[in-house]
Amino acid sequence: MNQNNVLSSDKISLEESVAIAEKGTHCGMCRIDFLGTGLCPSGKKYGYLAYWPQGRMEIVKHLKEGKIKPTEKLIEIANSCTLCGICDKQCNFATQLRPEKVARALKDYVDKLDKSQIQTVEEDDILRGLREIVGKDWATNDPIIIASYIRSIISPNGELNFYIVMPENTEQVSKIIKFANKNNLPFLPRAGGTALSVATPTVLKNGICLEHGIVIDLLRLNKLEIHPESSSATVGAGIASFELQKEAYKHKLRANVAEAGAHYCANIATTGIVTTWGNSYGCFADNFIDLVLVDNEGNVKKHSDMGISNPYTTEHGFTNISLSPSYIITEATAKLFPVFDDEEAVLVPFDNLKDAMDMVIQLGRRGVGLSLAVLSYKYLAEFICPNRKIAKDFEEICKNYIKLRYVVDVICDKNDKKIVEEMAKYSIDQSMMRTLILGSPKLASLKDSEFMKILSEEDDPLKAIFAGPMRKHFEKGLDASPEQLAKVYDKDLQDFFKKVYSKPEMSNVVWLHAFRILPSRLMRQMMTMGPGGAIWAGDKNHILKWVDMFAEVGNKYNLEHALGFISPLDNGKFIYIEYDYFYDHNDPDVANRISKTLLETTEKSLVMGQIFTLINYLFKGLYRKEHVLYPLFKGLTKEEQELFREVLHSVLGEF
Amino acid sequence: MVKFLSEEWIEYGKNYILEKLDPEKDMKNITTSLLGIIEHVPPNDIIMSFYLELKDGKLNDFKVNNGDSFQEANYVIKGNYGIYKDILQGKIGTAMALLKNRLQLKGSKIEALKIIKPLDGLIESLRDITDEFEE
Repeated sequence: MNQNNVLSSDKISLEESVAIAEKGTHCGMCRIDFLGTGLCPSGKKYGYLAYWPQGRMEIVKHLKEGKIKPTEKLIEIANSCTLCGICDKQCNFATQLRPEKVARALKDYVDKLDKSQIQTVEEDDILRGLREIVGKDWATNDPIIIASYIRSIISPNGELNFYIVMPENTEQVSKIIKFANKNNLPFLPRAGGTALSVATPTVLKNGICLEHGIVIDLLRLNKLEIHPESSSATVGAGIASFELQKEAYKHKLRANVAEAGAHYCANIATTGIVTTWGNSYGCFADNFIDLVLVDNEGNVKKHSDMGISNPYTTEHGFTNISLSPSYIITEATAKLFPVFDDEEAVLVPFDNLKDAMDMVIQLGRRGVGLSLAVLSYKYLAEFICPNRKIAKDFEEICKNYIKLRYVVDVICDKNDKKIVEEMAKYSIDQSMMRTLILGSPKLASLKDSEFMKILSEEDDPLKAIFAGPMRKHFEKGLDASPEQLAKVYDKDLQDFFKKVYSKPEMSNVVWLHAFRILPSRLMRQMMTMGPGGAIWAGDKNHILKWVDMFAEVGNKYNLEHALGFISPLDNGKFIYIEYDYFYDHNDPDVANRISKTLLETTEKSLVMGQIFTLINYLFKGLYRKEHVLYPLFKGLTKEEQELFREVLHSVLGEF
Repeated sequence: MVKFLSEEWIEYGKNYILEKLDPEKDMKNITTSLLGIIEHVPPNDIIMSFYLELKDGKLNDFKVNNGDSFQEANYVIKGNYGIYKDILQGKIGTAMALLKNRLQLKGSKIEALKIIKPLDGLIESLRDITDEFEE
């Protein structure tokens, strides 16, 4: 048994499996092959969320609480798991959970079931109609399958009066929407589901989740073609960021993508693709060449169609809030960018935000670097550390001993690297980053050591370890190797993780930035909520005030919080900020405080003015940045503030 | 208690609004008009609409039309029969329906949101008198 108490390979009961399941956050990493293990065979075959590890984890919770009763599908779901262990490897990398134990518990539960308890689910007219569109296997009203979608599009509080449908092309999506409208049923598309799962524990739940009706699961729209000659890709709505990037890299091309598990098309629809590469590759509608959309009437449209009204523009003002997409993007033609042989990562450490921000904005304005960001110590720790305990200790070392509070994180070619190094007093290079990644357990173990105390008394501890005489000792002392790192995992997984961390890409910062497999660790066994948005880069005091406001509200509600990242956009004219709050998604009290925090920080941001908040960002990704961000609205008047509160109260609830 | 969009519904609605809603307290003395377009009305999948006019918070006009010729109004909301049913059954609020794109709005969003509270009060009153829907 290790520190998570849930990682042994012994058999467990359904009740015990719920303890694992509750820690799941629907990060969706079990639906992409990011470690070279292959994919869950059952999920790949059957498609519905219920057949994937994350879906089984949702099902056991609702079986245990009695919300759902066994059906024939439950038996199929349980038996379809081959106990191949892929999910344990994937989930352990991201969240340190063992979903296979949940699958095993579900199998045991099904084996012991009194078959007379199994309920039959009747086909009704709606289901018949949906099956006529997509085929018998791809539409269901089975409550077990429906329950697997709870928390990632269905609210946990309501009834399960839904249909799940999995179309395989745009035409079927169009027909489903027309059918839904004719039958007066609401519908909502689901792609990766992670954004929905982040919103579900909060006050956004009622706005973001589907209240009843038809869930359109887009996973089967899996067209993916790379066009090297035009540096573009055709990407279906079922394709995750990681999958697109993997194919693009085969052609020495790179896509600007969100977190590994996020679906590319849905990401455009939801917030646009917000990344550290945005200054160079673009944001909002910069990221795509064309889109195939289905509107709320079921009409299929393309951005490139002649004669359509301007599809890139949207209303201005703080009331431009949407909680659902206006379109379902079924296919995007994505822009791809060249991967250069001399790309490198340079990280410049800082003990204060102002200096770090000055530097990143300077770089953005000069067009230096491909990926630019200020990362907080919190992000750095969560990303590179293999489990939360190590991340916590790593954080403390950064904060209290070596004074590494922020890093300016640059991916660039060798010419730009020289510019960055000239601007910085000293930097962390790729080799040192590899040491930090592979040596993170050892570094964390030095938390209260004499070495750290001595180091903290240095005038500039950062310089001492990254550019001074202590660097050699530091690197040697961390004993950074795949073997050492693998030791933090359960015994039965250590060989696997030794091999994983022996792959060069797993400690290659450029690759990690491009494939974004590490952000899932922000959701390991806990939830994160990251409000923020875009702000003009010109008034630095305004930016710092904004960041301070997030911290003050976090303190007011007694939350674990930290700046996530800051990235310049549009040649350094704007910056995007994400500020994160971390909490236990199973604790209603803290979830309530998160809701208050989200609404209060949004209101305060709008009152401060010249800020485009996360709430405004929602479902604006397919518009041009010039239409969305210019001009940014001024601070709310008293009357507007009242109106904002009134609207949000009436929509989302009191705060 | 009557069927949504029926003649009785209009009559009941008028009386209920006049009797129960205070022009100042509940309706904020607003002067405005609203056209609600309802698509896919069962059983024949037709379009219907209702027109509602308020003057100084008092109900001035309230009527239902069949077909797709519509009266001019300050605000036009459009959605399918199902969403109106959900609103009248209290499953979703009007503002939420707008923000979730279940209802499409024609007109200034900011101005529409200003009247959303009194409008919600009015719709809540219609909820009290509506208990029958087409299936």
